[in-house]
Amino acid sequence: MDFLSRFYSSSIGRKFFVAGAGLSLCGFLILHLSGNLLIFKGPGAFNHFAKTLDSNPLILPAELILAGFFLLHIVIALIVRYHNYQARPIGYARYSVKGGRTWGSRTMTATALIVLAFLVIHLKDFRFGNRSEGVYQLVVSCLKNLYYAVFYILAMLSLSLHLSHGFQSAFQTFGLNHPKYTPAIKALGYLFALVIGLGFASIPLWIMMGWIK
Amino acid sequence: MKFFLEVWRQKNAKVQGGLVRYEVVGITPEMSILETLDVLNEQLLEKNEEPIAFDSDCREGICGMCSLVINGYPHGPEKASTSCELRMRHFKDGQTIIIEPFRAKAFPVLRDLVVDRSAFDRVMAAGGFISVNTGNAPDANSILISKKTADKAMDAAACIGCGACVAACPNAAAMLFVAAKISHLALMPQGASERDERVLNMRAQMDKEGFGHCANEYACEAACPKEIKVSHIAKLNREFLRAVFCSDK
Repeated sequence: MDFLSRFYSSSIGRKFFVAGAGLSLCGFLILHLSGNLLIFKGPGAFNHFAKTLDSNPLILPAELILAGFFLLHIVIALIVRYHNYQARPIGYARYSVKGGRTWGSRTMTATALIVLAFLVIHLKDFRFGNRSEGVYQLVVSCLKNLYYAVFYILAMLSLSLHLSHGFQSAFQTFGLNHPKYTPAIKALGYLFALVIGLGFASIPLWIMMGWIK
Repeated sequence: MKFFLEVWRQKNAKVQGGLVRYEVVGITPEMSILETLDVLNEQLLEKNEEPIAFDSDCREGICGMCSLVINGYPHGPEKASTSCELRMRHFKDGQTIIIEPFRAKAFPVLRDLVVDRSAFDRVMAAGGFISVNTGNAPDANSILISKKTADKAMDAAACIGCGACVAACPNAAAMLFVAAKISHLALMPQGASERDERVLNMRAQMDKEGFGHCANEYACEAACPKEIKVSHIAKLNREFLRAVFCSDK
């Protein structure tokens, strides 16, 4: 196992973990969004879906694995960030780039922190909140609060920005960069970021508008 | 032409430095930024002041010796250019130009604009070579290499090791430099036999020198005077993965 510890302690290896966990979390986002969109079918469908999930004995191990991916992604990204901070102790009086950087890539740490704050509040209110009246009712009652809904939407836009760099970046980390398919991966990354961001943000938006009651 | 230069002045590696503002006159548009510094140094010498220390050698864009971060851009705002190739016609008469050294923990400032880039030499010494007995030149056709592969290797070999990628990287990572060397040598049959230990050793030395992690932002590619592509970094990642999981090393 010596080679694995050497792999982990290398600058390139660490990023494999961040990228791998990140892409796995992208898969989770698709599942989560698919479930969420059931809210547009009404309380019956949404609450039934939530109950079916809750009563599945595999949900606990699945959640533990998911938490593991989150931890791996966050902790190693923080370690990488710390090393990067150390790599330039004295900064520039003026710093510009001729290209390459995007809004998504510049704001990775900021968007990550917003999404993390959202995640904590989100888990507290929804995963561990009072679900006795049904998850549908819980979601609507929370998001009826304008501040909550606005925060929710801003967090989802941050997530979208985070994904716009993160998705395509993971493939580069895995060594997958070729003119044959890299433009397609980039396009797919932007599309994914857009669909996930707008998909999740649509729910608080609909509730704010009073279209979901 | 007349310019105001705000230049980083620092006596040695141990003391703190700061930007000092100078006025320099008598500049012509075809002069390079290095020649502008030469003119300024003449003026400083006449006033009995310490001239500004900066690196330069070939002054034709091939040696990788000049550095400088000009108005926030390593090698200045022009694409595919080194500092020595940057002509003053790209600036407006009377403009203020900020000139700083490359910034990275692995590139400590020695004096003014001169940084110590021997970290790159140590990374190269860790594996950026091929072990062959040199002697008479071998027959050119004894090892066949396809044109496409030769071109790719040549693109990577264009790296002059100036360190602009490190200077431009928001994380002061040296991945583009190391990737260019790894990719260049791994693509050639002469270099392929040592590819595993090469990538492991060069990666280890790169981290030891205190360079940052690549965040795939590609500011390096945009800053590179030789336009080395970040696809070489993907190749470095593949080579590393291969060496860790598929070799006996």
